[in-house]
Parts: sequence; structure tokens; C-alpha cells
Amino acid sequence: VEFGWSPDDLAFRRELVAFLAEALPPDWEEISKGGPGSDAQVAFSRGFCARLAERGWLTQHWPSAWGGRDASSWRHAILGEELWSRGEPRGPQYMNVNWIGPTILRFGTDEQRRRHLPRISAGNVLWCQGFSEPEAGSDLVALRTLAVREGDHYLVNGSKIWTSYVNHAEFCFLLCRSDPESSRHRGLSVLLVPMSLPGIEVREIPSVVGERYFHEVFFTEVAAPADCLLGEEGQGWEIASWALQYERVGAARYARAARMLDVLVEEARRRGRLSDPMLLEKLGEARATCEAARLLTYRVIDQREKALPPTADANVARIAGTLAERAVADLALEVSGGEALAYGSVAESHFRMAMTAGVAIGATEIQMNLVAGRLLGLPRE
Amino acid sequence: VDFDPSEEQRAILESVEALLARHAGPRRAIELAAKGEYDTALDRALADAGFAEIARSDGAGPLEAALVVESIARAAGVVAAGAGMLVAPQVAGSALAGPVALARAGDAAPIRFGAHARTLLLLDGGEARALDLPPGTGEPVRSNFGFPAGRIDAAALRGGASLGRGSGERLAAWWRVALAAELVGCMRACLAVTVEYVSKRRQFGRPIGSFQGVQHRLAECAVLVEGSGWLAREAAWLGAPAEAAATAAAQASAAAARVFTDTHQFTGSMGFTREHDLHVWSMRLQALRLELGGVGAHRRAVAEARWTPGA
Repeated sequence: VEFGWSPDDLAFRRELVAFLAEALPPDWEEISKGGPGSDAQVAFSRGFCARLAERGWLTQHWPSAWGGRDASSWRHAILGEELWSRGEPRGPQYMNVNWIGPTILRFGTDEQRRRHLPRISAGNVLWCQGFSEPEAGSDLVALRTLAVREGDHYLVNGSKIWTSYVNHAEFCFLLCRSDPESSRHRGLSVLLVPMSLPGIEVREIPSVVGERYFHEVFFTEVAAPADCLLGEEGQGWEIASWALQYERVGAARYARAARMLDVLVEEARRRGRLSDPMLLEKLGEARATCEAARLLTYRVIDQREKALPPTADANVARIAGTLAERAVADLALEVSGGEALAYGSVAESHFRMAMTAGVAIGATEIQMNLVAGRLLGLPRE
Repeated sequence: VDFDPSEEQRAILESVEALLARHAGPRRAIELAAKGEYDTALDRALADAGFAEIARSDGAGPLEAALVVESIARAAGVVAAGAGMLVAPQVAGSALAGPVALARAGDAAPIRFGAHARTLLLLDGGEARALDLPPGTGEPVRSNFGFPAGRIDAAALRGGASLGRGSGERLAAWWRVALAAELVGCMRACLAVTVEYVSKRRQFGRPIGSFQGVQHRLAECAVLVEGSGWLAREAAWLGAPAEAAATAAAQASAAAARVFTDTHQFTGSMGFTREHDLHVWSMRLQALRLELGGVGAHRRAVAEARWTPGA
């Protein structure tokens, strides 16, 4: 057990922070207030990710044969912390580099790797994830979108919901049922579907979370070429589980919450409230919650770096991250008072992003089920 | 960063666990508590095995001391492990004659080990003082909170050797790290005995631990305990900077309130008996939660260290 960073990692963080001071424009706060799916942030992310790619930072944790630099998971985690705490200038592309790319690398054919990985590591492609359905949310394996093999293609019919970034996406990481006779975990497959195929319709679901945050995606007689299949037919659940394991700690939400807390304190200081012992107590509480989430996330990164099999620690980290975001979001409104009513204000922007924490990537209750079963060993019903 | 124990750390933990299996445990704690006694034999065994000096020994340091303190708490050792093995060496520069007790100047309330301590580390504003306590200085106080307690007369708290400038901050910080480590050890034990209980206890034809209402609260406790554990370890590794130390104590104290409530809730009336082991650790959580001003003071210390240093 030790908690030190290598000199190289420290130097990287310094270089990155200096780069960000220059790369993020003065109106970045304005650009980012609509959230990662907004038109403004998506547009910005294209140029920004290309610049990260030029420096070799975007996918440095990938193998050098596939557009990476064989860097450690820690290096990529530093990138994630610094970017999330600044409102994620990679926009939706954080998903690509965190788990879509690594999943294609792990389960894809060489042809699929050649088709997708160079574009992801160059920072000029957008993806969306097709998991949830109207009747399959927390109970994901109840999903019904069908992809039936017919000759040289899969005929896809069904719908996905709560999909983010889909209006800009060129590809969808689609989890669907390739065996119509199957149920639950069996008979699922992953297709890497080009969004340009005829028969795909997208409807935005307006929400209070942010611009273009949720969509419904309809697949009607969509003919997806057979080489869209990732891995084997029927391997979908294994692939999705592997990908989700990455995604649960992929977004450094604790880092954004911690940064937000620093910003709030400056606001409280300007208003002369920082001598209020009750407020200090709440700030200290929220800070401790963020710090706990940081270490629990690091623990999962450590396991990933050592290529250990996934454990319930990823669920523990995800729950802790949710607690941190909620603690800071509540405090943000309290510190800002009426100023929070203005859309795009600092407190409101954070609150809006934080309110999905307990739902995104698996409801907290599902995470707790997994912790109870796998970590504590409590009996099943 | 490495979350797995090194070979040296593994060896240290294995040897202390083996020693604790022989000399400590909840049954012994219950026996000693009935007489209000201190575990001199365990203290001696730990010292003989070299653990008293672990914080300043070759190949080990405060992190290893914190790990050992956590293990001792988990094994319900009735010894002043945090103060003696972690706080004293880090604040005074060497181990002090044990048992060591910790107190704040101007606070006449009973303290842990107050009637047994030979040395008192006193937090007096920005300064720490070390006082020798002649036998009989502290008055035993009967306590229901799992530690032998004692009250030390205010007159006995004068004098003593000042440990120099900045020693007060150092004492407060290491005290918080030690508190966090002890809280974590006790919380792990509370959770373990509760998980065992709810896995066996059947109502409505099934183990009560299979109900989601029970599972989710224990899962959340586990998240809080795990986080507190790593914060305590990181704070020790960093050398107890004020912010990290207060963060660990704040998180562990808050977690302790939840762990106390939920583990007692799920063990029902059985958990309140002296027949069941839960109380050995759970009641200690409350004693530990009182020290240094408790969770509110730890949280304010986090905020002050981070955002208003020197104010």
C-alpha cells in the first residue's frame, strides 16, 4: 500500500494543466453550460480531441499498435480527472476512449479494429450507446430489440431510449437480441451500427438535465452488414458487462464535484459567508465525501492497471461517486441561493449534471445489490 | 499508488493478526470490561514483538503503524494502540512510556485510558505537552463505551514538557489519523458480525439478510467504511497533513454513526446483549466519535485546512 505518483505522472499532470489553461477558451463556461450533448460542446469537442490526439494524450493508455502509447491506466485517469473537473471538453468522446475503443480492441476483429480505432484515437468520431429500452432499464437483460441474421446482414427492429449524443453520433454500440427464441442473458449480441443506415429514426426527449441529453432511437427494418457484429453471436452480455465495468469508473464525477466545491467556496468567500461555522461544517463534509470517492475510484484503476478480474469494488466506487455528487449539488444550491435560479449559473449547471448520478450507468440500487451479494456475501432471496 | 500490501506489509499484518488471535478478541474484551481493566499482557506482547516502535522502525512507518492500529481495533484489543503506536512517536519523535492517553487542555471530561495511562499527551492550543502521570493520578470512571475510562484532575494537567512549536497541530492531525484507523477497525468488525447474523437469522421463512431493505443499508455502510479506510491510510502515508487527517476523521466519524445505527437495527435485541459480540465494537464507535470535538469539528477542520488556512 502506498499513495505516491511517479515523477513522470506528476510531470504529465503539470503539462496537461498548462495545456488546458491555453486550450480552453475564455467563453468555455458558456460553451459547456448545455452539457456534453449540447451542439456547442460537441462542436468544441471535435477540435479539442484532435488537439489531444496530436499530443498523443487522447488514447495514450491504448497499445501502441492501435494508436496508443502503452501508457498506464493512471495516466488516462489523470486526464479524466483534469477534464471532468473542467466540464469535460472531450464532450461525448470520453466514452469512445474510456470503453468503446477498449471493447472493440478486446472483442473485435482486426478489420473492425482498423475501421474504428484510428478514428477514435484521432478524436474525430462520435458514438452513442444503445443499451436501455422502454421495457429494459435496470433489468437490462429484458431487452427486446431484435437483430436477426438474414444472409449478409442483420435485420434490426426495436427501439432504444435515454440515449445521449445520438443526434451527432456516427455509430451506435448496440446491445440487442440476435436469437429471437432466447431470454435474459442468453442470445444477446453487440452490433457496431452506422447511424447513417436507412430505417433509423431519432426523437429527442426534452429534459431538465441538459440540451439534447435524452433521445429515443427507433430501428425499423434496418439492414446492418454482418461484419458489424462484435465478437460472437450470443456473446453480447459478456461484452456489455466488460464494457460497463470500465464505464462505471470512467467518468471522474468526483473530480468535477470536488472542483465545484472549490468554486462554491470562492463564491461563499465573496459573500462573506466563510466564517459561518455551520457552512464550514457542510463544506468539510462534502469535501470528505469527494475524497472518499477519489480513493475508491483509484482502487479500481489500480486493479485495472494490474489486469485483475473485475470485482464489486467498481460498484463501491460508483456509489461513492454518486454520494459525492449529490452532497456537492445540494450544497451548491444552498451556497448560491437565488442566483442558482438562473439557467447556466455555476450552481445550476452542476446541479443539473449531478442529478442523474444515481441513475446513469445502472441505478444505485442495482449497484447496492451487487455490493451486498459480491462484497458482503449476503444471501440471495 | 498501490492498493495491495507490499510483501513487508503483508508480513507485518500476518504477524500482528497471529499475535492478536492469541492475545485479543471480543471474549477477552468482555472479560476485561467487566473489571474495568487494561490489557497489560497484550501491550507487553505487542511490545515484545516490536510493534510498539513500528512507526519509526526500519522498513516500516506511520502507514504500517496505522494498519496495525486498525487490526488491533478490529480484534477489540483493550490497549491504547492509536495513541501509543502512532500518535506518540509521530508527535514526540519517539515512543513514550505507555499506556499513552490523549486529552485537550481545559476539558475535564473523562478520557479513554485516563486511569491507566503513564503518559498524557495534552493538546494545548498550538502546542502539545507530554506529562508523566504517577500511578493513581487518574480516577477510574465506569463507562459503557468499551474502553476503560478515567478522569484526570485539572491540577495534574499543568507543567509537562512542551513538544515545541507546531506540535499542537501535529498532535491534532495524528490524533485524527489514529481515530480514523481505530474507527475503521471497529466498523469492519461491526459489519462482519452483522453480516454473519443476518445471513443466519431467519424470519418470514428466509434469512433477513436476503431482504433488499437490509442489503442496501449494509451495502451503503460498506461503501462508507471502505472509503474511510483508504482515507485513513492515505493520511498516514502522507504524514498527516491537516486536511487529509481531518478528512479521514470526518468521513470515519460520519460512517460510524451509520454503522452503529444499522448494525444494531439488524441484529435486533440480540445485538444489545453482552452475549453477542457486536457491542464490543459498536459501543466503542461512540466513544471514538466524541474525541477532538467529534464529527462537526473534524469537518470544520477539513474546510479550514483547505480553504482558510491560517485564519
